[in-house]
Amino acid sequence: MPFQFPGQGKPPIGIVFDSDLGNGIDDALALAMLYGFEGKNEARLISTSTTKSSIRAAAFCDALAKFYAGPPPQGAIAAFQRPAPPIGMADNGKMAEDTPVLKAVLEKKTPDGKPVYSTSILKLNDTADATALIRNAFTAQNDENCLVVLAGPATNLVKVLDYPGNADLIKRKVRFLVVAAGSYPDGRPDFNIKTDVAAAKRLFAEWPTPIVAAGAEVGAVLPFPGSAIEKDFAWSPDHPIADAYRAFQAMPYDAPAPAMAAMLYAVHPDGYFKLSDPGTIGVLDDGRTKFTPSPEGRHRYLVVDAAQKAKVIQTYVEMASAKPTVRAPRFRGGQKKNAVEPPKATDPPKKQ
Amino acid sequence: MMITRKTLPRRTFLRGMGAAVGLPFLDAMVPALAFSQARLVKPPVRMAFAYVPNGIIMNDWNPDYEGKLSTFPRILKPLEPYKDDLLLLGNLTHNTGRALLDGAGDHGRCSGSYLTGIQVKKTTIDIKAGVSCDQIVARHIGDKTRFPSLEVGMEDARQAGDCDSGYSCAYTNNLAWKSDTQPLPPILDPRALFERLFGNGRVLSAEARARQSDYRRSILDFVNEDTRKLEANLGPTDKRKLEEYLSSIREVERQIDKAEKTNAQIDPHMEKPYGIPADFAEHFKLMTDMITIAFQADLTRVVTFLMTREGTSRPYRELDIADGHHPCTHHQGKPELIEKVTRINTYHVKQVAGWIGKMKSIKEGDSTLLDNSMLVYGAGLSDGNRHLHEDLPTLIAGKGGNTIKTGRRVVYRKETPMCNLHLSMMERMGVHMEHFGDATGQVNLAEIG
Repeated sequence: MPFQFPGQGKPPIGIVFDSDLGNGIDDALALAMLYGFEGKNEARLISTSTTKSSIRAAAFCDALAKFYAGPPPQGAIAAFQRPAPPIGMADNGKMAEDTPVLKAVLEKKTPDGKPVYSTSILKLNDTADATALIRNAFTAQNDENCLVVLAGPATNLVKVLDYPGNADLIKRKVRFLVVAAGSYPDGRPDFNIKTDVAAAKRLFAEWPTPIVAAGAEVGAVLPFPGSAIEKDFAWSPDHPIADAYRAFQAMPYDAPAPAMAAMLYAVHPDGYFKLSDPGTIGVLDDGRTKFTPSPEGRHRYLVVDAAQKAKVIQTYVEMASAKPTVRAPRFRGGQKKNAVEPPKATDPPKKQ
Repeated sequence: MMITRKTLPRRTFLRGMGAAVGLPFLDAMVPALAFSQARLVKPPVRMAFAYVPNGIIMNDWNPDYEGKLSTFPRILKPLEPYKDDLLLLGNLTHNTGRALLDGAGDHGRCSGSYLTGIQVKKTTIDIKAGVSCDQIVARHIGDKTRFPSLEVGMEDARQAGDCDSGYSCAYTNNLAWKSDTQPLPPILDPRALFERLFGNGRVLSAEARARQSDYRRSILDFVNEDTRKLEANLGPTDKRKLEEYLSSIREVERQIDKAEKTNAQIDPHMEKPYGIPADFAEHFKLMTDMITIAFQADLTRVVTFLMTREGTSRPYRELDIADGHHPCTHHQGKPELIEKVTRINTYHVKQVAGWIGKMKSIKEGDSTLLDNSMLVYGAGLSDGNRHLHEDLPTLIAGKGGNTIKTGRRVVYRKETPMCNLHLSMMERMGVHMEHFGDATGQVNLAEIG
């Protein structure tokens, strides 16, 4: 096999994760699972944003990012360390109220009064405009080598659609969008849809690539087992996901997990779920979704494969509780034909 | 009411053999009927971009506060006397300067995209960028002035060859792009700029220029007759203004003569045009003095100034720094290299402070030339060691005709496109654009912060 420089091959699928983190627990579990997949080099988190207009929700995302990134590098390699990607946040001019999940993580203190989970997001301009952040993430991907996982209202994503050229960009870059919202083929109103019905209607009508929905029924049949919190997350005396889980609801409970299903499908479209026939997902004014089968439709929804149920739950637990994998700093620009080998920390800088 | 005063047209030139000298804004240019309302006559707004390469030591650039400007960090210290005239901006980002799958070449990309907002094509042959924001403005308002725009530089105007990892020198050596394939090379030679500004468009051969230099006369000598005629019709204030203005032109001329003589003595065979001063500060002052005169006389309202080219390895012997600028910026965290870069950064800012002071000293009615300008000083990289394209060092000097609230540091949200600033500036130049580059809207320069 001919020698290949690292980075010359297509990197793992890039995931844009947009959610209302902090409202519930399954989107936090989904993000934790994505960090687990990233540690195994099966996916890359290329953008994190919150659809909540809440600096505290963005700070929660940041705290998770810092937890999974591990301690910052020291010595010569620190000079090459790129800053952590910013966290995107929707800003509707009014900050949402705190939730027990956010408080549990952001207000947890060490015995000497310091925050257990550090974050550098304290004010609005510590966050990024989610639409610019997501657009910029797309621009840095190989064609058809990224996905979007939406586990919140469609507020941010429809704004991305609004900028000129972005629909074409999405068509080129995004294989498909996975939406953790709704019930299929129909069912009760959905919180994420109801929060911004207009945006949901536009998203399902205008998103330029296929959409796969992970409905509440999948989340209910494949919940995250609460027993794993005390067992599998115990490797760290303080674990933000475990703290958030305990704060969301009185223990013990199993958490319905449509966002985890969406994430698992995004990273591994084969082997865990079945898909419905194609059709079109419509959004009703009261926040319900309705699936209409149609051979030309570009929407599908996830269907639980009973034979894979145990495997799905096991993957949820293993990936969401995986220990952070500390990796060498990633150097930009090593994805395509012009890729160059990232310098070793001891190498002198090359003339550019 | 009888009209007794004759109004002097704004675009009056003092003409003489081979010379055409524009005039500053004079009271005599205000129509008599409007004279009592002279305060309502607004001088034009000017826009300049001064680009500095290889990033900045950001720890010594960014103050640790937002809002009202007070104490400045080390690199910005020379600008402290002008803090009320400055708007320091944070978190502006040029995503199109990033690799975005094109691999190495951040220097080539960041300068190519700086004013175009385009991810330039990685090539040394079939270059492709986009029309830069200065040229969009020049296209719209260029007919109001003698020159739609001026492109000025100080280092290298090569247009061919590979200047950074497969990026053409056209990207590193130009800021202004008239079309997506046509950059506008900067004028490096002070004499060439002088002749462009005050000549009649005739290009002298090298021999003719040398012959002329043997019995060099001031360009003002050629326009003496026109000057005398004009002065006879001016009031005392205008006379003083005109004298000061013509003195500044004469001073520039003297400096150019001096540089040419000095260079000829040092090395008559030197490669670069013999009028380019060896001293950075002297060269900077000459070029910016002429830009200032061009603004003052409304010869142009749009200037791009490439202080040195992106990726430059110019040493700064005047600072006892023999290492090249670019290698120093890849400091790997070594304090001695960081110190050198910081000194270079501060040195540049010191020159800019001199320029700002000059613009501020020129009165335009109740305001100053600086008040009616937007002078952006900035770079296409923030951290030159890691080649970062976010939180680009950016400051605006001047109030853009009282449309910019200065004296503040405003930090926008992360990933705010630099093109948002370009949109806002174009608007202030009278050019409304819905979209430019990767802009997501305009930045607010007037209120927030």
